Amino acid sequence: MKGLAPLFLGIFGTFAFSWIGLTVIPTWQIGHLNPESDEEGTDIYPRPQSGMFQRGAHVYAANGCVYCHSQQVRADYIADDIERKWGDRRSAPRDYIFDRPVFLGKMRMGQDLANIGARAPAPEESPAPAGAASPAAQGAAASPASAQAASPSPAAQGAAVSSPSSPPASSPATAPAASPAIAASPNASPPPGQRTGVASPSPGQMANTTPGGSSPAAPSAQTPGAPWPIQTAGLPPMYSAAWHHVHLYAPRSINPDSNMPSYRFLYEKRRIAGERSAESLQLSGPDAPPDGWEVVPTYDAKCVVAYLMGLNQSHPLKEVRSVGGAPATGGAPSPAAPGAPPAPAAGGSPAAPK
Amino acid sequence: MNTTEIPLKNPAVSAAAGDTEQLERAYIDASTRVPVLMFYTSAIAWLIVGTVLAMVVSFKSHSPDLLGGISFLTWGRLRPAHMNVMVYGWASMAGMGTAVWLMARLCRTTLRYPLLIAAGGAFWNLGVLIGVGAILLGDSTGFQWLEFPRYVAIILFVAYTLMASWAVLMFRHRRGDQIYITQWYLLGAFLWFPWLYAAGQLMLFVVPVQGVLQSAVTWWYANNLLFLWFGAIALGTAYYMIPKVIGRPVYSYHLATIGFWTYALFSSWTGMTRLVDGPFPAWMVTASIAATILTMIPVATVGLNHHLTMQGYFPLLRYSPTLRFTVFGAMSYTVFSIIGVLISFRSVASYVDFTQVSIAYSHLGLYAFFAMTMFGSMYYIVPRLVGREWRYGSLIKLHFWASAYGIGLMTLMLLAGGFLEGANLENPTLPFSESIETVLPYLRGRSLAGILLTVAHFIFAYHFCLMLLGLGRTSTVPTFLNPVEAETSGGH
Repeated sequence: MKGLAPLFLGIFGTFAFSWIGLTVIPTWQIGHLNPESDEEGTDIYPRPQSGMFQRGAHVYAANGCVYCHSQQVRADYIADDIERKWGDRRSAPRDYIFDRPVFLGKMRMGQDLANIGARAPAPEESPAPAGAASPAAQGAAASPASAQAASPSPAAQGAAVSSPSSPPASSPATAPAASPAIAASPNASPPPGQRTGVASPSPGQMANTTPGGSSPAAPSAQTPGAPWPIQTAGLPPMYSAAWHHVHLYAPRSINPDSNMPSYRFLYEKRRIAGERSAESLQLSGPDAPPDGWEVVPTYDAKCVVAYLMGLNQSHPLKEVRSVGGAPATGGAPSPAAPGAPPAPAAGGSPAAPK
Repeated sequence: MNTTEIPLKNPAVSAAAGDTEQLERAYIDASTRVPVLMFYTSAIAWLIVGTVLAMVVSFKSHSPDLLGGISFLTWGRLRPAHMNVMVYGWASMAGMGTAVWLMARLCRTTLRYPLLIAAGGAFWNLGVLIGVGAILLGDSTGFQWLEFPRYVAIILFVAYTLMASWAVLMFRHRRGDQIYITQWYLLGAFLWFPWLYAAGQLMLFVVPVQGVLQSAVTWWYANNLLFLWFGAIALGTAYYMIPKVIGRPVYSYHLATIGFWTYALFSSWTGMTRLVDGPFPAWMVTASIAATILTMIPVATVGLNHHLTMQGYFPLLRYSPTLRFTVFGAMSYTVFSIIGVLISFRSVASYVDFTQVSIAYSHLGLYAFFAMTMFGSMYYIVPRLVGREWRYGSLIKLHFWASAYGIGLMTLMLLAGGFLEGANLENPTLPFSESIETVLPYLRGRSLAGILLTVAHFIFAYHFCLMLLGLGRTSTVPTFLNPVEAETSGGH
């Protein structure tokens, strides 16, 4: 029997050590973050997401998007994520506090999606052709904006200020029931895609954000000129909701070299009854349905696009320095300074949304 | 270790030395027959399913339109289905079978209530089946290696309790004072797994942690599943099989002890290395990198111990299938760990994060290290359960070489492709698609390697079926890879 107690104690002890060290202490450190707000307690970020966004996250999980797409931007002095325009600041723990599940990802067979919603063209008044879930999608006609080179942060063009008109609600529970209707008629009600909101009036200077939660919908003045990298004629503006639908349905119609599977099982091909649906996809070439037929997104497809359009980390955070914007107020020269992890520095200080 | 079962000696001679022991062992083996064979059968069935899934996944990753447009055949569902079949179906079942058998042998006690354990195995299979079905039907949770929905986790947990509690109870009923090092590892694995699984489920689904911590918990879980569950079983098995087959005690018991404790202490801390530069406190990653470097201590002690045990006996690799597979697995443990250290350094990690390197790494651990060791143990254990010897030495040889070349080629392809992919990813002057273009040829090479592995697994499954059907050789001499007469050559 000798030596048995130490054996059991050791087996439990080593495991408990790792469990406490790598999960319990981090939970204690960054596991109870609150959204940040400015001095007046407005301009709260991040906010809970709409029900369509939540459902879209489950579609995203179910179809394994996470195995090819990451959702994290690394700091500019470590990696070139920011140079690739995947964001204008590194991701911080606070960006994810409402995400469940979290899709940080570990593989980039596709682009990083942390800011895919922020990269959408700015919203316009015309309704989106593809039953967009988010206002940004409505920019189908917007001049494909640009200025990748000129503006330090194209992501900033979508700088998010949540639309004030929508009740703080957006509580996941409310939306699912209502959302098919919303999706069908984009103009009917406050858009579910919360974070993709109003473009900041001054792209590139996103750090000093628009005042409060009451900023009007000011379509950003996007620098004309430089087109999106692989924007193809005849397609919706890149990263608009309509574009996402076409891309999900027929990835290789947009980029012939794309390695992404087609998700056409999320779409329905149907005979046009009466007039062509406003939601139908703008397909061309071999992927286009025959005459008299149209391809329309299912509810799941609309949700996953709402999810994509809602992915937006362009809102500045105090603990992280934004490229080209105001530096973080945190004081630490670099967010990753050892021992001074981004979040906990400011942990718990900002007021929670009322 | 007693040396009555050196396969290269004439069994008739050694049997006389310890008749009662021989009988006792046969009796113990018989008590484990039903559950262990059942575990092995289901493991191999899952292996075949997982291999087929892997082939489709591999081909689809460079030909995305293959079998396209069907929801349950989409790449993003097949991939987690493949991973979970391999992890929970094949690897866990195989590991459980070997662990139960070893536990009975080493505790020198018969397995009580074998049918209960077999029932646990049946439940486990049911859980995996439902779980894989759920993933294919779009009910995945999205957490790597924990994709099974919550209701499946409950089934798996109940099944596990049924299986493992009897294995642990055997330890309670053991005879003899000495606890062999293998028992340490197995006991560790049996106790670590439920805690690990419960902690993962609780922190992700029952009382979910906030935001990015879900990712931390997922990585902590996956890493510890690899090390504390699969790794511990494989190391324990190697500590049994190598001395057993060559008929020589472990070189140093002290080294083995040091190896065990440092392994438990350090490898359980390595989970966060893949989170480098992510939205986490830097100390988490730093601690994991430090722990990864410290795992060189168990690697060195275990490797040295095995090497010194084997010293002078390496020619036996030419004959014994068990030895050959097990030594391959043990050596892969060293390679796996060294690569783990290399890719954990921050400077390297910023290149290889988000590339195929991580897939190479997990296959090195799960296949080259764990699965190969399990194959070795099956080649040893199955004849003792069915009372027949493996029918064809040539099939075993084919299995070994197809597996060894398959996993070797696959690792090389993914490592090389991953590094190039990473280099292009980190070069902002190149468009993103360039990194994908770079890795595509290597993915095709990976598919080629997959074909080799598929061949290996089908051969093994066929051979195992022959054994199950009682079509093995009736002989007192184990099946050797090469005729023993040709002993002059140096081996591989």
